[in-house]
Amino acid sequence: MERKHATVVMEEVTDPDDLARARAQRERFDKNAAWLQAHAAEVYTRYRGKCVVIAGEELFAADTPEEAWALAAAAHPEDDGSFIRYIPREKVAWIYAH
Amino acid sequence: MRINGEWLLFDDGVMRPVIRREILTGGGSWQPAEFLVDTGADRTVFSAATLSKLGLQSIVPQEGISGLGGLADSVVVDTQIRLTRETESTVVFHGQFAAVTKVEALDVSVLGRDLTGLFAVIVDQPSDVVCLVGQQHQYTIAPR
Repeated sequence: MERKHATVVMEEVTDPDDLARARAQRERFDKNAAWLQAHAAEVYTRYRGKCVVIAGEELFAADTPEEAWALAAAAHPEDDGSFIRYIPREKVAWIYAH
Repeated sequence: MRINGEWLLFDDGVMRPVIRREILTGGGSWQPAEFLVDTGADRTVFSAATLSKLGLQSIVPQEGISGLGGLADSVVVDTQIRLTRETESTVVFHGQFAAVTKVEALDVSVLGRDLTGLFAVIVDQPSDVVCLVGQQHQYTIAPR
């Protein structure tokens, strides 16, 4: 028998202003994500065990997420397309399935 | 409805299926995040690194989150996840989602079956396809 979790409710957004804002933010996010993929080999080698935030197509690394976010916000306060990734300390095969 | 993702290179040199979109913060803004499409995960789980930016009030979970490493410390947050359709319009998913509280527990957030269960999920690495398919869309499997 499948376990029951809290219900997730889906709603489509139709407001044109909301959609325009979402599209603009998504484009900034996509640029930052593309930067990480383009520099993946270097980032994954140099920053093991660190939290890295990509903002303004630049990398900000620190030991904690709060520090990494603060560095990124100081350099690119306008970038709402920034995101964070934790780079595991060691190369391991992940089995997620949480 | 079709929500597209992509295969991304991770730190261990493995390509994994990911959908990139946003989570609603406690301040009302949208925070970008990457989600691993994990067909084995019972529920959606935010990474601790992402949780740190959300500013959401956390609820004590009714049940724990367990992976291969055993039980992980976690909380539950009430928020929305925004995904983008093939038409460039957006869809929001409102619910209570789990989050781990230790950074090392998850390198990236996980999209689980509480959300993906609303769709047909395609994670096809040979064809370079990651997508959620639902409502007016369908898929066909045919011989080449």
